Amino acid sequence: MTEAIEVQGLRKAYGDVEAVAGVSFSVAAGEVFTLLGPNGADKTTTTEILEGYRARTAGDVRVLGHDPEHAERALHERVGIVLQEAAAQAELTVAEVLTMYGRYYPRRRAVGELLELVGLEGKENTRVKLMSGGQRRRLDLALALVGDPDLLFLDEPTTGFDPSARRQAWSTIKALCRLGKTVFLTTHFMDEAQALADRVAVMVDGRLIAIGTPAEIGGRDTAPTEIAFALPAGIALSDLPDLGDARVSEPAAGRALVVSGAGVRTSHAITGWALERGHELRGFSVSQPSLEDIYLRLTADGAATEEAIR
Amino acid sequence: MSAVSETIEAPRAAARGGNGSDAALAARQVAYEQRAFWRNRTRAFFSFGMPVMLLLLFGALNSGGRIQELGNIPYVTFFLPGILAYGIVITQFMNLAGGLAIQRDNGLLKRMRGTPLPGWAYVGGRVGSTVAVSAIMTVVMLVLGDVAFGVHLRAEAIPAVFLIVLLGAATFAALGIAAVSIIPNAEAAPVVANVLILPLTFISGIWYPMTNAPQWLLDVAKIFPVERLASALHVAFDPLNHGSPFSGNDLLWLAIWLAIGTRLAIGFWRRETAR
Repeated sequence: MTEAIEVQGLRKAYGDVEAVAGVSFSVAAGEVFTLLGPNGADKTTTTEILEGYRARTAGDVRVLGHDPEHAERALHERVGIVLQEAAAQAELTVAEVLTMYGRYYPRRRAVGELLELVGLEGKENTRVKLMSGGQRRRLDLALALVGDPDLLFLDEPTTGFDPSARRQAWSTIKALCRLGKTVFLTTHFMDEAQALADRVAVMVDGRLIAIGTPAEIGGRDTAPTEIAFALPAGIALSDLPDLGDARVSEPAAGRALVVSGAGVRTSHAITGWALERGHELRGFSVSQPSLEDIYLRLTADGAATEEAIR
Repeated sequence: MSAVSETIEAPRAAARGGNGSDAALAARQVAYEQRAFWRNRTRAFFSFGMPVMLLLLFGALNSGGRIQELGNIPYVTFFLPGILAYGIVITQFMNLAGGLAIQRDNGLLKRMRGTPLPGWAYVGGRVGSTVAVSAIMTVVMLVLGDVAFGVHLRAEAIPAVFLIVLLGAATFAALGIAAVSIIPNAEAAPVVANVLILPLTFISGIWYPMTNAPQWLLDVAKIFPVERLASALHVAFDPLNHGSPFSGNDLLWLAIWLAIGTRLAIGFWRRETAR
């Protein structure tokens, strides 16, 4: 599969301040690639370099085979962009705006089709200025899709969506991927990254500190299993059976937390013990750290982590 | 809903179509900008209705009044070309300086830059639309002047008036775009535009004849395009003028300002789109 985006040694400096400090990654065609990171990590700077809004200081960047810095029209015709904040023509109606932008592209989607895709059916004659924030955000997505792009840049695309609108946007994005479209997404929502991303990259202080699938990033797949439950009445931590190497703690009174590198064996030992003694373990759960746990761990460690980039 | 999304397809065949030329795109932009302009009633009132209203107001207040210094011509005959010049200047400045400053701040210009539409076609659409507003204003004022105030323009002066209006509108369009550079934010736009324009209108013979003004002030006024546009229109409208409706000197100065404005406007656009 060809690469939709290739970035090698990307740097962006403002005077003496290095905003993006040597970033390399590639995004395969048809992939959903998600850039995560705290505010001020220069995710937007990176995204805007890829979109052609900013010049880079150093490094090599290819977007659909083009150098975005020269922003050729041929590239714009194949790229859709949802910016974090950008107004549309407030006095025009939804249908007028979509038709107007559609004319800029050699390939385009029909207005009715776009409205279905983003859930704005029946809004074609609504003036943009009368739309709610969430509706405008959906119009942003429709405007990014109007030219049937091969590559979509989505900068926090579902901010301001209600939960059902968000689900719908997700399914639209997934459906686009099945058509072979590539999506470059930045988001603050871990559930969004989990739901959509084929791969996730975590950016802190202009550096990528981790990159991988949502299931594996930051060693999530090999992280110890966490087993939690309420201690039965009259039972203390010391009453639990021998759990080998597992770490046992009581993070809150009456709540046991067991962290084990051998989740199956440890949970078997605990449930076996409970069955034998006739204890019901309320709130019993076995879990791997969530993407959010991993993200918080990675970003808290910050630049110090500097994990090898896959 | 998700059922629809699951079945997303490549664009339906009917939706496919070739692009027209860039010139056709720019022309379509003019049409969309026109639609947007007239829908914003407040803006349309202040940049279009206001000068027309001032014509009606001043015309009615001074009906029957004559201006001795200008050969005893009716006051309205003097006032109409001046208020037309004012209307052109205000329309271009409000819509381009003010409008582009707003669009710079609210991200619309950035959104447009992310599309394949060439930057010149977008700006051209906005300029074309505001020039069209000036042309419509000219028609309205000519008709009102004729019907309500008996200001008759001789036939050969009519095309001249439209040519002058087009040149003036283009000049102030370019200067309006250039002025965005010195407008720090959209809220400041009306203030900056007023500071730039209003004092010039007072020394440019728009509201009253400059016959009693000191020579040095007349000389200063003549440097600026507001006076040149008003003067060119006064010459074309002058009922005592039986020669050419064109005053070459004024038009030359307007052309120079058009060149300066265009250069500055391109400078603004380059900075705005700098990466």
